Amino acid sequence: MGCCYSGETDTGKGDQGEREHLLPQSQSLPNKAPNESEQNSTNNPSARTDEQAMLSRILAKTAQNIIDVSAVESQGMEQHECMDRARQYSTRLAKLSSNLMDWKKVPPLPSLTSQPHQILASDPVPFADIQQVSKIAAYAFSALSQIRVDAKEDLVVQFGIP
Amino acid sequence: MEAALEQHLEDTMKNPSIVGVLCTDSQGLSLGCCGSLSDKHAGVISILPQYAAKLTSDPTDVPVVCLESDNGIVMIQKHDHLTVAVHKVTS
Amino acid sequence: MTSTMTQGLERIPDQMGYLVMSEDGGVLASAGDLENDERLAGVIREMVAVACSFRDLGDQQPFKRMSIVFGEHTFLVTISGQKIYVVKRQNVVREPISV
Repeated sequence: MGCCYSGETDTGKGDQGEREHLLPQSQSLPNKAPNESEQNSTNNPSARTDEQAMLSRILAKTAQNIIDVSAVESQGMEQHECMDRARQYSTRLAKLSSNLMDWKKVPPLPSLTSQPHQILASDPVPFADIQQVSKIAAYAFSALSQIRVDAKEDLVVQFGIP
Repeated sequence: MEAALEQHLEDTMKNPSIVGVLCTDSQGLSLGCCGSLSDKHAGVISILPQYAAKLTSDPTDVPVVCLESDNGIVMIQKHDHLTVAVHKVTS
Repeated sequence: MTSTMTQGLERIPDQMGYLVMSEDGGVLASAGDLENDERLAGVIREMVAVACSFRDLGDQQPFKRMSIVFGEHTFLVTISGQKIYVVKRQNVVREPISV
C-alpha cells in the first residue's frame, strides 16, 4: 500500500509541499475527501485494489458523517506529513543557519550609563519606598481576596441532552 | 468586591509622588491600573518578580524589583498570585 | 582591561560581591558572593532583557539602574558599553534617630 502512494507524494509534492499552507483557508472535510479519492483513481487506477477502494469508501462515508470541530482547521495535514514537513524545514533552516544567526540574536542592549560604577555606588532605593510598595501590595492583595465568586446557580448548564 | 481594589488604587494615587499603579496576576493579566502604568506594562511587571525570586533560596524573602531612572522609579512586588507596581516620581 | 572594569566596583559601599558579564551572559569578571555565579548571571541577563522592553513612561531610556531588594541585601544592575554590571550590596537600614 505504501508504494502506490509514495510514488505520488515523492515526485508530485516533494518540493511544492513546503510552499503549501499548513492550514488551508476554506476546506471542509466532506469536500476534501471525494477530491482525494478522485485524484488517486485518475493517477493510478490500476494500482488500486478492491480492498483499498472499499476502505476509502468507508473512510469517506465516515468522514462525511463526522464533524470533528478540532480537526476542521488542520485536516489537510496528516501527522506523518506534518513530521515530514518539519524535517524538510529543519533541513532548509540548517542550510540557511549562517544567515539566520543575525536574526536570532536578541536586540542589542542599550547603554544605560557611561559611568556604571557611579550608578551602582549611588544611594540605594530608600527603605521607606520599599516599605511603601510592600504596604500597597499587601493592601491590594487583601482588597482582591475579598472578591469571591458568588455562585447562585449551576455554572455548567447541560442542554439538548435527553 | 473588586470595587475594594479599585478604591485602594485610587487612594494610592492620592499620594502626590505616586503617578501610576498597576495590579496584575502572575500571567500578566491586568487587574487594575491607574495613571502612568497601563495594561500594556502588565506583562513585564508580572514577569520581573518571578525571575527575581530565583535569586534567593528563601521563599519568604520576597524581593522588590525597582527600575530606577532620573525622573522616577517603578517598584514591583509580588504578593502571592498578585503583583503590584508603583511608579513614583522623584520629588 | 579587567582591572579598569572592576576597579571601582570593589570600592562600592557595603558591597558583598560583584559580577560583570557580556551581552550574551558570559561572565567576564566576578568576586565575593557572586564569584563565578553563572546561574545568577543567567537570571539577571533575562531580567535585563525584559526590563529593557519597559518603556513609554516618558523617559528616553527604559531605566538607569535596576535594583532587586531583598530583606538583607540588594542586587544592583546597570548596563554600560554592552556589558552588564551587577553588585550585591548589604542593606544598611538607617534607623530613624530617636531623641
